[in-house]
Amino acid sequence: MTAASLLAADPLLAGKVDLAVVLIVALKAVIVLAFLLVATMLMIWFERKVHADMTNRIGPNQAGPFGILQSVADGVKVFFKEDLLPDRADRFVFRLAPFLSVVPAFLTFAVVPIGGNFSDADGGVIELFGHRTLLQLADPPIGVLLVLAMSSIAVYGVMLAGWSSGSKYPLLGSVRASAQMVSYEAALGLSTVTVVLVAGTLTTSGIVAAQHTWNWNLWATGIVPFVVFLIAATAELNRPPFDLVEAEQELVGGFHTEYSGVRFAMYYLAEFMNTVTMSAIIVTLFLGGPNGPVLVGPEWLWGIVWFFAKLMLLLFTFAWFRATLPRFRYDQLMDLGWKALIPLALGWLLLMIAIRVGSDEGWNPILVMVVGVAALAAGYALLVLAGRTARRNRELAGAHL
Amino acid sequence: MAQYLPVVTLLALAVLFAALSFVASRLLAPRNPTAAKSAPYECGIVPSREPPERFPVRFYLVAMIFIVFDIEIIFLYPYAVISGELGAFGLVEMIVFVVAVFASFVFLIANGALDWGPSRRLRRVDPRVSAERTTATTVRRVGLDGREEAA
Repeated sequence: MTAASLLAADPLLAGKVDLAVVLIVALKAVIVLAFLLVATMLMIWFERKVHADMTNRIGPNQAGPFGILQSVADGVKVFFKEDLLPDRADRFVFRLAPFLSVVPAFLTFAVVPIGGNFSDADGGVIELFGHRTLLQLADPPIGVLLVLAMSSIAVYGVMLAGWSSGSKYPLLGSVRASAQMVSYEAALGLSTVTVVLVAGTLTTSGIVAAQHTWNWNLWATGIVPFVVFLIAATAELNRPPFDLVEAEQELVGGFHTEYSGVRFAMYYLAEFMNTVTMSAIIVTLFLGGPNGPVLVGPEWLWGIVWFFAKLMLLLFTFAWFRATLPRFRYDQLMDLGWKALIPLALGWLLLMIAIRVGSDEGWNPILVMVVGVAALAAGYALLVLAGRTARRNRELAGAHL
Repeated sequence: MAQYLPVVTLLALAVLFAALSFVASRLLAPRNPTAAKSAPYECGIVPSREPPERFPVRFYLVAMIFIVFDIEIIFLYPYAVISGELGAFGLVEMIVFVVAVFASFVFLIANGALDWGPSRRLRRVDPRVSAERTTATTVRRVGLDGREEAA
């Protein structure tokens, strides 16, 4: 690996930043903002339609053809709704929290490459108004860390919303939500490390470039990190079957019970925008991003087409999850996150490291596999033993009750 | 640092979008709060006690344990980027590091720090709640006592 690939960066901003460059950046930012808003609107409609079909209903069908403008109608309506500020609310934090939720939802998408041809040495660079640039808003050297940082900041939006409402159900919902998001973030981060290990870089464009010629991380990392990431992402998004945050039978509306009008709409928007963004991140990390065969026509178009095809597939999967899977119980949720996904992701990462180092050093691959699997089995046995000890202690303690 | 310029631009646009939405709502939405509307939501009942300010300590525990794991993950990222250059030395270092973290993780689980839900009782002294209980033997049919003879 060369130093150049480590510090891969958008060539647009590598040289002198003059007015033309700033204008291109502004144009790209406006396009990303508009794209995200339209995509979120369509995702809300798409999920309602898919969910309706799966439960044998019609779904929205009045506003526009196939009801496709339903989200726009809802959005307009919400501006005319009263926006209440509860008596007991902490007024400043109550107003601040929607910003903390919606802004990270926008920012994560900045590092997603949505097109470009990654098969040559250029690595997805295209020509725009006489300037060479990547088909993504930004390509900072720590792209993947930016994604994780933004998902951490989103926890504040949820936590502060519930805390500042000065009400029972929002507080309980937000405490649940932050514990859940924090727990699954560890699994999310651990499965991403495997991708970084295979790609050897933290930039999203570098990760996509490492996956061209069908070397998708989905199988290059051996499926397991993808499965862990998908489950952890679903929990991180608070989507069914992990939507305990707004388990309406127990918590009314969860952390945004006290929110109404446009502030509530911001949380709704952020939730679906996060779904779109997280799907785009999964496409980038595991499904090869815009990589795919060029059939007929211009090359740059096919990158975008493949990216959106994969994105649609994942969005459909999330809608499918919601229509199919019943909600978890809170202890099941925590057990899955801490006792299954985190050890699994950590063990798989070590196995991958051992296999890669072993092949570099010329060790016997069968021996490496056997020792690695034996070590993982020993770790698993320890975990089972620990779980049994905990259960026995709990039962002994419960006997005194 | 110029690589972060687009992120900052998008940040400004996103904040602007949210702020403009709130301004538009302020101009367009009606505004007539009443005491009932701005009281804490309590499913239609008048709230009889203060909203809780305390919650189970387990949530704090999860937050603290998360910090340990988050720091571990942050250490893994730089290693993952340059693992090819470090070779066998890096692998050994990584195994030592992960074993240390994993040992504390096993200790946490064995201690019950990550257990949720009510604790199950090992043995119960009350004969009415013995393990042989099934719904057929114990569900008391309210109002049926004495009626069967009458019918």
